Amino acid sequence: MKLNTFRKKSPWILHYNAGGCNGCDIEILACLAPKYDIERFGMINSGNPKQSDVLLVTGPVTKRSRERLVEVYAQMPEPKVVISCGACACTGGVFRGMYNCEGGIDQYIPVDVYVCGCATRPEQIIDGVIQGLSILEKKTKELEQSVRLKNEPVKEGTQLNRRNIAAEIIKTS
Amino acid sequence: MKEVLIPVLLILLAPAIGCLVYGFERIVKARMQRRIGPPLLQPFYDFLKLAEKRSMIVHSTHAFLGIMHFVALWFALAVLLFGGDLILVIFLHLLSTSLLILAAYSTRSIFSHLGANRTVISILCYEPVLILIAVAVYMLTGSFDAASIFNGSEPLLFRMPAAFVALLMILPIKLKKSPFDVAEAHQELTGGVELEFSGVFFAAIYAAKWVDYVFCYTLVYLFGASDPLLGIGLMAFVFLYLNALDNSSARVNYKQMLRFSFVVALPVAFINLLLTILGLHL
Repeated sequence: MKLNTFRKKSPWILHYNAGGCNGCDIEILACLAPKYDIERFGMINSGNPKQSDVLLVTGPVTKRSRERLVEVYAQMPEPKVVISCGACACTGGVFRGMYNCEGGIDQYIPVDVYVCGCATRPEQIIDGVIQGLSILEKKTKELEQSVRLKNEPVKEGTQLNRRNIAAEIIKTS
Repeated sequence: MKEVLIPVLLILLAPAIGCLVYGFERIVKARMQRRIGPPLLQPFYDFLKLAEKRSMIVHSTHAFLGIMHFVALWFALAVLLFGGDLILVIFLHLLSTSLLILAAYSTRSIFSHLGANRTVISILCYEPVLILIAVAVYMLTGSFDAASIFNGSEPLLFRMPAAFVALLMILPIKLKKSPFDVAEAHQELTGGVELEFSGVFFAAIYAAKWVDYVFCYTLVYLFGASDPLLGIGLMAFVFLYLNALDNSSARVNYKQMLRFSFVVALPVAFINLLLTILGLHL
């Protein structure tokens, strides 16, 4: 039995607003409400990066929010997919070229699915997440591994030990 | 043979039963909100997905305490189902919760600390009531053993109804249901104590939640233990009551929860104890 199939059945969503106008956020929350009810696909808006699989990002990345965006992305354990919701998150939208933001989230983190619209409709978001799930299912353990480590494996005895470094500092001070 | 076989089966299948209860609860909750809701085996799918995800641990003690929380809770359930000492069962449950609290305090996340603080407060709310109920059981049956309740002649519900009311008041606090879910508080703390767990270690916490369901429903079953039909009826009633309460009420803050517990639930449990003693002497 392959466990990959179960990823598709319980994607937990993390929703991050990278400085948007809240239009798309309201549509995302509408998906959770009784009318669209994405819990029937097993999706939960978990709000905790360490336990979620799908990162839904809205808004152009403002300079204030870009560090948090990368931080949140880094805190999510693999396998994960990123879905950019709305025109701002895809390209920068009406904010493109402004002094306080840059065009789209794909300048900072890899994006799997782009969902267009200003604001995106709930149907589009559900469609985008379902597309993201088929990508999530295909992601394998090899994909998650670091390319840099693969090309240049760690040699024995070359690693730095922080205790040794700290010991010298403590000795001198 | 039969006396041993049923508890052993129940203990071994406890996570599976809890999984089904939790899945069914999610469906019932969704239907109450006119949604379709997830499939019945949804918690099981979640568990397998979490087990397969890459686990990022904060530090090894944190992950170990998370696993031990699950083990201690399962052990507490085993002692309860084998008819062990009620006080011991309550303190084993307290031990499992305190392992989780220790894990939450061992990280540097402020949300984790807040969740741990609130979990300690919720323990302060439900623990004295549970102990008073156990003492009342001792007064009635002359023994702290749960086995004496299972083998008793008349159901506990008719002998001390006020204790059941007190249990109904603290069950939402214990299971982190809506009016008293400050410890979990998904919108503000995103899970509280379980925040820093991920991957297979969060799967253990998730499974511990299922075992906790079985534990709480077994406590409810004790009130109708000598009549199995009554016991199952009570469990069904408590299931509907908890879900209806969870769906229809908003979260109170921890001071209100503490006040409710000390002003309403604890006096009810205490009056129950006094009435039980009075009934024995008349």
